[in-house]
Formats: sequence, structure tokens, C-alpha cells
Amino acid sequence: MAKKVVAIIKLALPAGKANPAPPVGPALGQHGVNIMMFCKEYNARTADQVGMVIPVEISVFEDRSFTFILKTPPASKLIAKAAGVTSGSGEPNKKKVGKITQSQLREIAQIKLPDLNANDIEAAMRIVAGTARNMGVTVVD
Amino acid sequence: MASNWWEIRVEGHLSLEDSITWRLEKFGCRGTASEAAGDDLLVRAYLPEGHAHVLDLAALSFFLDQDAVCLDFPPPRVSWGMIQEEDWASSWKQHWHPEEVGTRLVVVPAWLDPPTPTERLVLRLDPGIAFGTGAHATTQLCLEGLEMRLGAKPGVVADIGCGSGILALGAALLGAPLVYAVDNDPLAVAATRSNWTLNGLSPEGLVLGTGSIEQLLGREPADGFVCNILAETVIQLMPDFCRITKPIAWGILSGFLIEQTQEVVAAVDREGWTLAALWRRQDWCCMHIRRHPS
Repeated sequence: MAKKVVAIIKLALPAGKANPAPPVGPALGQHGVNIMMFCKEYNARTADQVGMVIPVEISVFEDRSFTFILKTPPASKLIAKAAGVTSGSGEPNKKKVGKITQSQLREIAQIKLPDLNANDIEAAMRIVAGTARNMGVTVVD
Repeated sequence: MASNWWEIRVEGHLSLEDSITWRLEKFGCRGTASEAAGDDLLVRAYLPEGHAHVLDLAALSFFLDQDAVCLDFPPPRVSWGMIQEEDWASSWKQHWHPEEVGTRLVVVPAWLDPPTPTERLVLRLDPGIAFGTGAHATTQLCLEGLEMRLGAKPGVVADIGCGSGILALGAALLGAPLVYAVDNDPLAVAATRSNWTLNGLSPEGLVLGTGSIEQLLGREPADGFVCNILAETVIQLMPDFCRITKPIAWGILSGFLIEQTQEVVAAVDREGWTLAALWRRQDWCCMHIRRHPS
């Protein structure tokens, strides 16, 4: 039916575990979106990825109905997985927690490319490499 | 017991999104909400009050600055405040109220009692994910159109792109003995079925299908149809409306803006229908069309 978008909200949520607590409640409640319906749908569609953070982009229409699309997992999660670490470093300049190769970096950038503010794979790789650096993960040749 | 939450707001360049999200998650925030406008990004994250102190938040701000500088972007603006916990599971409902449409219908959210006394036909609706809640101008225009068309002799009505089922329900409440409702989205079909039951309407009065017009071929032709989608879709479907309607039939088209009217009228003409009326509300239009055998 006729659709005029009044808000686009992106939420990064743990797969299969959305609930009305923040950030979902405050972000969607202000637009009158049926929060329980959103949580139910999100959890059903991400149930097979529990343990990952799956961002979701929600379009809210004039009549308070909505649709959503699932996005790619955050680069930090993909980097941590590739490096075999559970978390990044608290002091990335002093303490390195792991390594990823250039080819792993390219693979992650390829996955993230549709959702990144980047025109090509090289630009996407630079963004992902920056996130890795901030996490204390070194990119090696 | 009600408790408070820290709301942390980070405003920076869009390219910092992953880095900011990661840092906030590392700080203990379970999930973030972000909105972008051009290259500007606003990320909101939340923590229960007892999980952080102002000094921790100042340290977080420092780390976010450092992360941005490492990525060759200016440091983001970081601020925080306290919000009160509320019943988010149900507080969204305060945005919903009974809505009188036309002269005969009132659309009432499923959790509210219908206004009493009322001489209007009560259309109960559970606003799920599907479009069509009664709040949009095009939905209201279509319901008003149905009210006009289904006067003395209500016939079979087809709702193409039924969404929540609101127009199909409206047609049934206004007297249509049989309603066809189709939508490409299985969620919309499920919503229509559930709202039909909610209104206590007879299952025999509804033919519901996932898909488009092809679902209705071979059935008793409809006396009229309603199609509230987008201009491009209406134009695309125009040749097919003849295939599901009687030789003398009416149609209600909506879902398009005033500036799109001309192209829809051209498609209406091309397929041998006549424009009978054009209604307008806000920026939206609704067309009443008719077909007579030549």
C-alpha cells in the first residue's frame, strides 16, 4: 500500500533476543510502532544466529506501520571471529589481542561492503582495518 | 519497580558507526539505536543506572575520541542523560486512538473498547507489521470510497494489496457479501486473517490469498475492487483489473501523490476505464473509476 517513510532507525541487537527494554523501547515507542510485534518478528528471523549481533534497519511509515531488513553483522564481530578472540583490547595501542590476514580483512570488507559508507572494496578495507586497529587486532600480510 | 537508564548519545561521522557500536558494546551497552542524515550519524545506547558512573562515561567519551582519531575522523560529540524506565511493551499504544472514518465507520485498535454509544460500524484492528492502520490519508479515502460504492446494492469486492486487511474488513462491514483479499506479503495475509476473526466476520465471506491478481482468476467476477498500493504498481496492474471484474464494474485506486495522478489517469484511459471522481487529502489522491461495456 501507499508508503511514506517518516523515520529510518537502525538497531544493533543480539540475535534472537530483542525485547522492549532499551534500545528497542525508546527508539520505536516514540514513533508508536508495535514493539512486541517487532521483537517477535526480529527474534524469529534471527533465531538461527544467536550469539551474533544482527543490525536491523526499520522503516516507519506515516500510519505507524513498519517494515525491516536485517543487515550484516558489525565488523567488530567479524574481526573478533576471524582473529579467534572473544573481545577487543581495552588498550589497543599497548596491548594487541590478535591478528587477521589481509585476505581475511578483504573477506570481511566484502561482507560489510553493502552496509558501509564506502564506494569500493579498498575503501571498505580501510574502514574495517581501522576498526581492527581500535580493537587491538593487527592486520598482517 | 521503576528504575533509571543512562542514555548515551554519540554524534559523529557515518563511517564511525561500526567503531562506535563496538566501543559502546564493550562498555556494556546491550544494543544501540542509530539514525543517519547524510554523513552525520547519531547513535544512542543505554545502560541501567547502577552499571555506570559519570567518571566511567567520561572515560568512554575519551575512548570514543581516540577511536575516531585513529580512523582519521574528527572526535564525535558524546553526551549522556538519565531516562526513566517505562512500560515500553505497552506504552507505544498511547499513540493509537479510535478513528472515525467517513460517516459510517470507526476504526478501533484491538485493545480499546469501542466508543459508546456509537451508531457507526466498528472496525477493530490489531495494527501489526502490515500497512493499513486507518491513520493514513489513502486508507481513509479508500474506506470513504467503499462507503459510497457499497450503498444500496453491495456486491463482491476485491482488495488488491490488502495489507492489514482494513479495506477488506471495511467492505464486509459495509455489506459486501463476499470479499477477495490478496497480498504478496505472507505477513499481510496473516494479519488480514487475524483481523477478520477479530471482527467476528464469517470465514465464508472472505477469499484470502498470498500473491496478486492471478490468485483471483477463475472466481466469480467482482463488482468492484480497491487497490491502495503505489503509483507504479497500480499502473502495472491496470490491464489485469478487467480480468477479475464484471463487464460493468467500479474501482477505487489510491496510494499515489498528486503529482503522480496524470500517469495513473493515462493508464486508466488506456485500459478502457473512465475516471469518475478524484479525491484528495493532504498530498494524496484517490480515484474512482468505472467500466461500461462499449
